[in-house]
Amino acid sequence: MSPPPLRGLVLAATVALPLAGCAKKAPDPIEQIVVRKPGDPPVVVPLASTDPVAAGKRAFAASCSACHAASADAAKGVGPALYGVIGRKAASVPGFAYSAAMKGSGLTWSGPEIEALIANPQGIVPGTSMNAGAVSDANARHAIVQYLKTLGPKG
Amino acid sequence: MNKWTRRGFIGAGVLTGGALVVGVAVRPGNPVDKLRGDVASGPGEELVNAWVKIDHDNTVTAIVPHCEMGQGAHTALAQMLADELDADWAKVAVMQAPANGFYVVPDTAREFVAKWSVDAPNWIEPTYNGLFTQVARLADVMITGGSSSVRTTGQHTMRMAGAAARHMLVAAAARKWGVPEGEVVAENSLLSHKASGKSATYGEFAEAASHEHMPQTPPLKDVSQFKLMGKGLKRLDIPAKVDGSAKFGLDAAVPGEALRYAAVKAAPVPGAKVEAINAEAARTMPGVLQILNMGDFVAVVADGYWQAQQALNTIEASYSKTDGDLLDSAMLRARFAKALDAAGDAGGKSLARRGDAVGALKGAAKKVTAEYQVPFVAHAAMEPMNCTARVAGGKCEVWTSTQVPLMARSAIAKALGIGAEDVTVNQLYLGGAFGRRLESDYPVQAARIAKATGYPVKMIWSREEDTRQDFYRPADTSRFSAGLDAGGKVLGWNNVFTQLNDPPGSWDVAHYDIPAVSIRRAEADMHLRFGSLRSVDHSQQGFFIESFVDELAHAAGQDPFEFRRSLLAKSPRHKAVLEKVARMAGWGSPLPKGTARGIAIVKSFGTIVAEVAQVSMQDGRPSVDKVWCCADAGYVMNPDGFAAQMEGGIIYGLTTALYSGITLKNGAVEQANFDTYPMVRMDEAPDIEVAFINADTRELGGAGEPGLPPIAPAVCNAIFAATGLRIRELPVMSHFA
Ligand code: HEC
Repeated sequence: MSPPPLRGLVLAATVALPLAGCAKKAPDPIEQIVVRKPGDPPVVVPLASTDPVAAGKRAFAASCSACHAASADAAKGVGPALYGVIGRKAASVPGFAYSAAMKGSGLTWSGPEIEALIANPQGIVPGTSMNAGAVSDANARHAIVQYLKTLGPKG
Repeated sequence: MNKWTRRGFIGAGVLTGGALVVGVAVRPGNPVDKLRGDVASGPGEELVNAWVKIDHDNTVTAIVPHCEMGQGAHTALAQMLADELDADWAKVAVMQAPANGFYVVPDTAREFVAKWSVDAPNWIEPTYNGLFTQVARLADVMITGGSSSVRTTGQHTMRMAGAAARHMLVAAAARKWGVPEGEVVAENSLLSHKASGKSATYGEFAEAASHEHMPQTPPLKDVSQFKLMGKGLKRLDIPAKVDGSAKFGLDAAVPGEALRYAAVKAAPVPGAKVEAINAEAARTMPGVLQILNMGDFVAVVADGYWQAQQALNTIEASYSKTDGDLLDSAMLRARFAKALDAAGDAGGKSLARRGDAVGALKGAAKKVTAEYQVPFVAHAAMEPMNCTARVAGGKCEVWTSTQVPLMARSAIAKALGIGAEDVTVNQLYLGGAFGRRLESDYPVQAARIAKATGYPVKMIWSREEDTRQDFYRPADTSRFSAGLDAGGKVLGWNNVFTQLNDPPGSWDVAHYDIPAVSIRRAEADMHLRFGSLRSVDHSQQGFFIESFVDELAHAAGQDPFEFRRSLLAKSPRHKAVLEKVARMAGWGSPLPKGTARGIAIVKSFGTIVAEVAQVSMQDGRPSVDKVWCCADAGYVMNPDGFAAQMEGGIIYGLTTALYSGITLKNGAVEQANFDTYPMVRMDEAPDIEVAFINADTRELGGAGEPGLPPIAPAVCNAIFAATGLRIRELPVMSHFA
């Protein structure tokens, strides 16, 4: 909690005036996407009418990303990274502390099984430590799986 | 009192409504003004710093230039001012000084720019103080840091302003009543004259007092006359924090305008640029207003914070390459080792050299060597970085929690290309800072976003962003070798490490009686942004030095307390603190098997602190059950607040010692949220007992930081005593996974 290093103060004291003349301005945005103005009605994008992968990505962001990362090199989260999860044995991310329930589930993650998991996690793996993340909309569950299929080495 | 307590010129004025205002002013005609050019000083005295206001309703308001981040500075400073003023504590209020460039902290500048001037002869004082007020203004020194509020601003400014105001009130009453000044009693915000039975409130005389002569060096109270100083008065900020009415940075509102929210993500490797973003999914998500690639970070602005954060999570970004892209923690450690190898026994930059350490080691009966390592540490303030900003008509106003409002103002002005006078920084309570809020990166980000949107925006960092975009306590490696004679006396001490930030002398062992000492630094670069974390370099140096001293005690076959005690033969204040903490802890008394005590002593920010930690091994893991702490800060102004700071320093330091470890992979920080960057919680908090010694009322030490440095070594020394395992690398728990 000590102030910035001594040199900062001394510098500012002795060369404050010349420095003030050559201050560097931060750049303006490189890209600015204005989706809508404040107060404008929300942009409504019905799930069904869009590409299911894009819809799944959105739904993943809203329901899963707080706990799960989607990339291979991501740091540990609350849940295991879901990169390459389709076709993967349950509880197989090295170093992740799975529950005994998940370790003993004997599952291999296919699309329908993930849909079942996120419909009701405790239903398919009783005792799992995935305490949240249930998605009530079947279309959204399906879309999430379409998105998960795009994650993985084969892309 | 001696010259120590005389600081600055006092000026006085009347506010509309007749309130008396007393402050420290720069005298017109001060030669420094001419030297420094354009600093305004109109006819008469300019009020530079106004510290006390007395209203007609008899309320005394202490205007303090420091922020309140839980450390209790507002209360302690008001207490010091009110005591000298003989004010009624029940009618004292505190106000945070506005960050307008007038409320600079000359004494802080003085402390850090030129320590020598503190002992300048009396006649030169005016010039020096004027100079330092200028320096402070030019350098934006309105800083809360360095454990300095009480010992600098409190001692040299608040007390003097209170004493001067008291003198003026007495003079005004004496004049009106036609009695000698010496017969007027000022007490509890009341003026009275016994013989005539006259009495009045301070408020009634506030205006008249402002026309009285202003003493430049008002006599200050002796300790024996203290009424409020030295008392554990209740904190003034707590009621609002309990009933929820206190406003922190996160609570900021822009008067009369609706707020939108921004979530941000900076390039994960420091120095990288955001080259391109894919925002396909984000632009269709609920609430989203704008998506911005700011070059160094990506921002999403939405109606709500969570909407902004969720949309941000879907954005894919590509970043430019940097030299740091491949760096990981092992490579960094190898880099430190290479620098240390190159420095060897005598190389690197010499920081302290007394006698011939290398020679002393050659002739020693026993030689002890050890290498210690610490990782990067993040501040992890509970209130994540945030700032609310509005930019309109070439002006910018921000609402935020910061330790450096004036530096934030300058940084924003610079980033937006406008004048500092066009930027207003409104300060709110800080939900923790620990040095993180000495940096102005987040106010600048918010201002840039608000400029792009054109409407007010509250930017809030996610916990992950807070952990990954910190200014870290640097990682470091420190190597020691020392020689002992046959009787266990230390003959020589040779130490070299790589990182140096602040404050000077954190590495020194001058308090220990060692004839030959060589301390050096072998510089090694790193790419992470480093900054000041509670106790700064003392946080790692305390661990290095006090662990090694413990190793020497065991090598000498001596008790670690007795060993330190004899080394402190020439440092009586250190020795007294050490002895007291040993007594408190019952040092030497038997303990159950698997339980042991460890001791350490560190002086930092002017305060000597010794701690004993009692650790028990439970299921193979150490548990810190009890901590005793004794401190000598010269004089403790508020024992309750002081003890709270020691306890806070100990708990914060325990987190650092036991858990904190920021590691790198591919140049980026691996940890993100509290699951990967844990902190000590309630159930692990030890019982803490704090005592203090008031050994010098003239020069005070700080409170915010000094409690921290001894805890890591005290715990590690206790673990050694309990298990025989010497922890030379933090965090502790990485050894018990
Ligand atoms: C609150 C945090 C949280 C949320 C939100 C969450 N999960 Fe999980 N998830 C977990 C945890 C924890 C586990 C590990 C469970 C265990 O070990 O029992 C897990 C496990 C999984 C697994 C098994 C992975 C493996 O390696 O075996 C899948 C698949 C999964 N989650 C998918 C999802 C999806 C899809 C969503 C969004 C709809 C989601 N999760 C939302 C926490 C969460």
